[in-house]
Amino acid sequence: MKEITQLNLPEDVLYADDHEWVRKDDGTVKIGISDYAQDQLGDIVYVELPQVGDKFDQKEAFGSLESVKAVSELFMPVGGEVVAVNAGLEAAPELVNTAPYTDGWMVEIKPKDPAELESLMSKDAYVEMLKGL
Amino acid sequence: MEKSNKTTPLYSWHVAKGATMSAFGGYLMPLWYASAKEEHLAVITAAGLFDTSHMAVLSVDGTEARDLLQETFTQNLEACVGSAKSPLSAGRCVYGAFLNEAGEVIDDSIIYQSGSDAYMAVVNAGMGEAIGRHLSEHSHDRQATITDRTDRLGKVDLQGPMAAKILTKILADPTKVLDRMPYFSFKGHFDPAAAVMDRVILKNGTPILLSRTGYTGEFGFEIFTDQQHLLSLWEMLLEAGSSYGLTVCGLAARDSLRAGAVLPLSHQDIGPWRFINHPWQFALPFNEDHSGFTKSFTGSQALLPDKGSEYTYAFVGQDLRKVSSADDPVVLDAHNKEIGKVLTCATDMAIGRAGDRIYSIASPDKPDGFTPKGLCCGFIKVNTELSVGHTVQLKDKRRRLSVTIVNDVRPHRTARKPLREMM
Repeated sequence: MKEITQLNLPEDVLYADDHEWVRKDDGTVKIGISDYAQDQLGDIVYVELPQVGDKFDQKEAFGSLESVKAVSELFMPVGGEVVAVNAGLEAAPELVNTAPYTDGWMVEIKPKDPAELESLMSKDAYVEMLKGL
Repeated sequence: MEKSNKTTPLYSWHVAKGATMSAFGGYLMPLWYASAKEEHLAVITAAGLFDTSHMAVLSVDGTEARDLLQETFTQNLEACVGSAKSPLSAGRCVYGAFLNEAGEVIDDSIIYQSGSDAYMAVVNAGMGEAIGRHLSEHSHDRQATITDRTDRLGKVDLQGPMAAKILTKILADPTKVLDRMPYFSFKGHFDPAAAVMDRVILKNGTPILLSRTGYTGEFGFEIFTDQQHLLSLWEMLLEAGSSYGLTVCGLAARDSLRAGAVLPLSHQDIGPWRFINHPWQFALPFNEDHSGFTKSFTGSQALLPDKGSEYTYAFVGQDLRKVSSADDPVVLDAHNKEIGKVLTCATDMAIGRAGDRIYSIASPDKPDGFTPKGLCCGFIKVNTELSVGHTVQLKDKRRRLSVTIVNDVRPHRTARKPLREMM
């Protein structure tokens, strides 16, 4: 298990308290899970994702991650409509472990209410939250 | 992290290696080090090393120790060894369970006979006190002394096809020790003062009890030694195994390996319900035509004649997806009627389907280019009798999985392979 100081926590994403991250693009956002989350879950062996066009509210479950031991739900850090899913995770779910912020992204959505992004945490706020866990 | 959890003598080693630790049976144990999947696969293709010092060990000694175990253990000690059903003798061990009067499992155990009046019962983490008390209560005025050895003993499991080759490098006299050591036999003792036929000594002089058993379904050994020797034994094995692909393994790999080997986890697959109608019939002293038992024992009156209300079965899924145990998943029949619950659902990462068969990465006849993603497997407990090949659905709050009732899951396991083939 990684110490907090060993975690890869980039500054160009926002973090949710369920350990998803959000990276703003041009009118859409990409979503994945943090290095902390993948380290806690261990080997990801299967990723269940929604379909393009599916709509979710903030905090709603949109898929699941399956590790060798357990199945964990993924929650939407912001509500919106799915415009793309990472098809590469079907053949290589381990990308969630090896590249959580890049090739291991999960869905791209068009946010319903960009104001919801303001409820997410900066890297520093996320680190503070992790210290309290 | 709960302060009340105990640790094994290897705790600092696990933490220093970055293991993900978790509480299990009152101990803080490694769940995995770098990768539970790689650890699982290593045990099937090479070898894995597990810290199993959390397990409890009781000595049962005295002229009436055998009689006490015969009354309380599900195996008939006079007819339990090999296909010939020979009596348990010094150097042999046997798997069974301790039941209460209602025929429900208190815990499962392997009983070792080390001398004419000397036995050892290995039970699960945290169960030493309960089984010790159970034995004392049934002992009455028998000549039998029960001693909990747990806090003095360490145990590591060396499992996988390379296990004997690795052991050869650390034993003082490997040729003698590794000659004639069938499945469920053992040699030596962790206590240098114990009266045993043959000692097993490491090159550095450490006495060990070496047992050809394990909880992975693969060829290998369980090694018992005094706690003061555990870290040096662990490091010696890792050094000896470095050229054989030996990988340190945590409890996650142990769980997925045992599920694929159709071995129960006590308090999950067996527990406070009647120990009958399950995949482990070999743990009960059935007579030849399966109509009754060859001895009576604590709980036997409650098991037969069978009233048939609960049945435990092994299953295997279509792919690697699992149902989540956190959701208390249920079992549905073809008419969507709830017929029971899921006891274990794990993924055996070394197996997959090709055509109408399941292959393992160790299968000599696997198809060319076979790279399995794993299959979910485990146990269900249902209120109706099912037959092998029958399909049921497992349902949690997220998904429904169609799974098949089976007798066996991971093919081509190595646990019973003759030792001479593994040298």
